Amino acid sequence: MKKNNEYKDVARARRKRATKNFGTYLILGIWVLFTAILLGWILAASLSTSREIYTGTVLQFKTGLHFSNYADAWKTQNVSRFFMNSLLYSVTAVIGIQLISAPAAYVLSRFKFMGNKLLRNCFICAMSIPAIMVVLPLFSLASQAHLTGTRTLLIILYICLNVPFTTTFLLNFFSSLSKTYEEAAALDGCSPMRTFWVIMLPLAQPGLVTVGIFNFLAVWNEYFLAMIFASSDKLLNVGMGLFRMVQAMQTTGNMGGLFAAVVIVFLPTFLLYVFMSEKIIAGVTAGGVKG
Amino acid sequence: MKQDKKMIVTFLMPAVVAFALMFLYPVVRTVIMSLYEVKNVTDAADTWTFVGFENFITVLKNDTFRKSMYNIFRIWLVGGIITMSISLLFAVLLTNGIKGKGFFRAVIYLPNVVSAVALATMWTQYVFQSKYGLFNNIIRFFGGNAVNWLGPDMKFWSMLIAFIFGAVGYYMLIFLSGIERIPTEIYEAATIDGATKGNKFRYITLPLLRGVFKTNLTFWTINTITFFVWSKMFSPVDSEVSTVSPVVHMMNLVFGGKAVSGTFAGRGAAVGVLLAVCVMLTFAIFNLCIKDDDIEL
Repeated sequence: MKKNNEYKDVARARRKRATKNFGTYLILGIWVLFTAILLGWILAASLSTSREIYTGTVLQFKTGLHFSNYADAWKTQNVSRFFMNSLLYSVTAVIGIQLISAPAAYVLSRFKFMGNKLLRNCFICAMSIPAIMVVLPLFSLASQAHLTGTRTLLIILYICLNVPFTTTFLLNFFSSLSKTYEEAAALDGCSPMRTFWVIMLPLAQPGLVTVGIFNFLAVWNEYFLAMIFASSDKLLNVGMGLFRMVQAMQTTGNMGGLFAAVVIVFLPTFLLYVFMSEKIIAGVTAGGVKG
Repeated sequence: MKQDKKMIVTFLMPAVVAFALMFLYPVVRTVIMSLYEVKNVTDAADTWTFVGFENFITVLKNDTFRKSMYNIFRIWLVGGIITMSISLLFAVLLTNGIKGKGFFRAVIYLPNVVSAVALATMWTQYVFQSKYGLFNNIIRFFGGNAVNWLGPDMKFWSMLIAFIFGAVGYYMLIFLSGIERIPTEIYEAATIDGATKGNKFRYITLPLLRGVFKTNLTFWTINTITFFVWSKMFSPVDSEVSTVSPVVHMMNLVFGGKAVSGTFAGRGAAVGVLLAVCVMLTFAIFNLCIKDDDIEL
């Protein structure tokens, strides 16, 4: 009798464990399912006619797959231009930011001098200054420098505004590297500057890649600065371009083209995430990256 | 040693220039600007008229500004409670030793790497659409009445739902890393003493996550105070009262908009300063109230 009860207890515990885990999977599953439906439907809609979207028959593909939506969005709706602009902004910014931040971070992490601590704190402080506090004077500075309406202006802004975060991130990374490399290089007669470019920078590659991904994502998805500083249609990035298309939706009614544009905007960062999600997630949890 | 000095200067110069030009100078100038009457943002400083705190008084008396502050207060409080609860729940569920943890974590964080404009378009043009939208399809499936999600009554809450969906992943990751840093010995000891799952959560996990809560609440506060893209996306043509945020109001003041006649750069700067003060106050309050003497962050 006693043994029987023991069996029952074990069985109950097992059931309890199973139901508990069932609940966990159910909650997480619903969230994931919702995300999948959201993305899946957008993809399906980007291949359907606007009529099919309006009548709610998106997933049936009765009239076949309309890849023409993509051609329409890319050429007629100028998504190609927004896309190329964003690509230019992101790639040049990522390179520019690293060229400015990596040397600064290295010097701050390795050399003792007056103002080192102050500079570190300045960069940390700058990270938490909201963009609204700087855009107005930057706007008048840009017009004084006759830079309004140029891509150069946006690139300069994207580079400089990301310097504090990147410098702080790389500073922590350089601090974690051993000093023995530099000591060995110094013994071999390598100058400190040369040591940085030839030895330390390549060693910092993992950190440079992580922070590069974050900067790429930030610039690609940027919206606020583009709204203020991209004064002509020629300069719009994907965020502003898509926003303009949504604004025009009420008159054009071109739903298929709009969803194709959404997919085009979404795809580069999505693919980057698929291949780099481990690195990105590790970077968020380690570096206190801005949300 | 001389070599070092030269190196320090050349290596630091570009970053310092970027900081001085893009942060230090603009912040100072914005603060000064908020005390002057400035019509156009590009007006030279010698055309400004000193008005003291008049810009602040005008802004604080303005109905749209008050409504926008009320909006972000609701986003901060209601959205904050919901976002923090869901993120914490997910973080706890993911550390339960389930299979596919990496997959779930990656999918939940996904919205954070996608352009907010694209994400908001998915919500406004699909999920919330009354005829073919996902939510109304689900409601109709269960025999309910369709809801006008983007109508004036519901728009604010629809925007909040969409915003929360995108935000959860980030805060979950921070909670998750906090929970994973709690030494397992503490839980083992508690298990030996006969603590239940609920007890362990209440008396071990929550108190040890204080510092992580502070980080999350600080980020949440900054994000809601500078709330902008979602507000724009949910009323793309005009800024509607139901979804207007202070930054949207500020941009309308500075660059003109349907709701304002003319441009008022000085008042816009005052809005910016007010919001920055809000950010600093929250930093100070969180630092005073939440001591993160628990685990190293």
